[in-house]
Amino acid sequence: MSPMKLCVPGERLCSTEDCIPGTGTYLRHGCIFASLAGYVLRKNEGEELPVISVVRETEAQLLPDVGAIVTCKVMSINPRFAKVHILYVGSTPLKDRFRGTIRREDVRATEKDKVETYKSFRPGDIVLAKVISLGDVQSNYLLTTAENELGVVVAHSEAGAQMVPISWCEMQCPRTHAKEFRKVARVQPEYLQA
Amino acid sequence: MDTIHACFKEKIGEVLLPGDVFSFRLPESGDGSIKTEKIICGPGLRRNGEEVQVCKSGILRHKQPNMYWIDSQQRRYVPAKGESVIGVVTSKSGDIFKVDVGGSEQASLSYLAFEGATKRNRPNVQVGDLVYGQFTIANKDMEPELVCIDSCGRANGMGVFGADGLLFKVSLGLVRRLLAPQSEIIKDLEKIFPFELVVGMNGRVWVKAKTVQQTLIVTNLLETSENMTSQQRQTLFKRVAEGSL
Repeated sequence: MSPMKLCVPGERLCSTEDCIPGTGTYLRHGCIFASLAGYVLRKNEGEELPVISVVRETEAQLLPDVGAIVTCKVMSINPRFAKVHILYVGSTPLKDRFRGTIRREDVRATEKDKVETYKSFRPGDIVLAKVISLGDVQSNYLLTTAENELGVVVAHSEAGAQMVPISWCEMQCPRTHAKEFRKVARVQPEYLQA
Repeated sequence: MDTIHACFKEKIGEVLLPGDVFSFRLPESGDGSIKTEKIICGPGLRRNGEEVQVCKSGILRHKQPNMYWIDSQQRRYVPAKGESVIGVVTSKSGDIFKVDVGGSEQASLSYLAFEGATKRNRPNVQVGDLVYGQFTIANKDMEPELVCIDSCGRANGMGVFGADGLLFKVSLGLVRRLLAPQSEIIKDLEKIFPFELVVGMNGRVWVKAKTVQQTLIVTNLLETSENMTSQQRQTLFKRVAEGSL
């Protein structure tokens, strides 16, 4: 296969008679122009004309969609919400880190107004959450942990040791035996490694 | 029974450094007579598996029946929940005031956290005022939050204070001694002349007496009584009382 050609936004790729415009391209004056900087991809669709598209990476990026379970890391907390970085969508790792927000009322399904963010998450925790909204341009993905299977999976205590969950709202450090509050996820038995 | 308490008892009143370790090896007993005992580790002590480590330098203290802690000298204040502190209002933005309490971050104080404050009836707080309040949220991950009402909604001595008077800083150990129930320092000071005193657990003390000279005298006495034994302190106070009369 010939090496992929690079292009910049505004570059004229070909005319409409040769190809059909795909993602990353636009049509102007009967010609196809690139709108992204990346590699030019030409795909043959059988009887119809080939589809020409411009992609950033050779593999397609997986974006978190509404309803997807994502694995994220808590970056900072606030009495009203927690900011997280989304690391995995399902079981595929992401190349870039997307930002998410878990609002105080989305942490639990019951007793939403009594939730204290400090007793649910701490910076550095790994959390399983579900996407409820993609958000605007400025705001981040909105996530929720209001289910039994969602919440904190891995957390480190103040002493630095990895904690063991003892109930849905507490985890214990094996070194100092101190208990800390978290919103713990109930991981399904088939995902646990002995 | 004696192993764990004995380990601690021999060090009570001694100066310990971070890294000192108390390790317990429970004796092997064939008849299964291991008695479990509870020990409460206070500030400065931390459990690490089978041993207790010291993480602050200071003197080991003991309180019956089973509480041990390290009494350390410190001037830097770390906000903790429930403590009452003196803060200085630095800015007003929207609904919250930013208050400097001497910690790593400024604390936030909502305008509704005063007695009798509603959205229409805002409290009269200006930049530069002194406030006495309690922490509701104070941990290393979030910005600390102050309130000037207690859980019932009453002020209980908290709020804005101090048009005159003098605010100065002392070490946290002296503050704890001043706030002890039967503080000798306060009792001795009372005999000299009357004055108003507000003590914040962040090491800040506010004093006001009838004249500026008396205020300064009280300030100096408090600052020097930190490093004096009670004997030296009482002789000094007596000399001042005779001199001022």
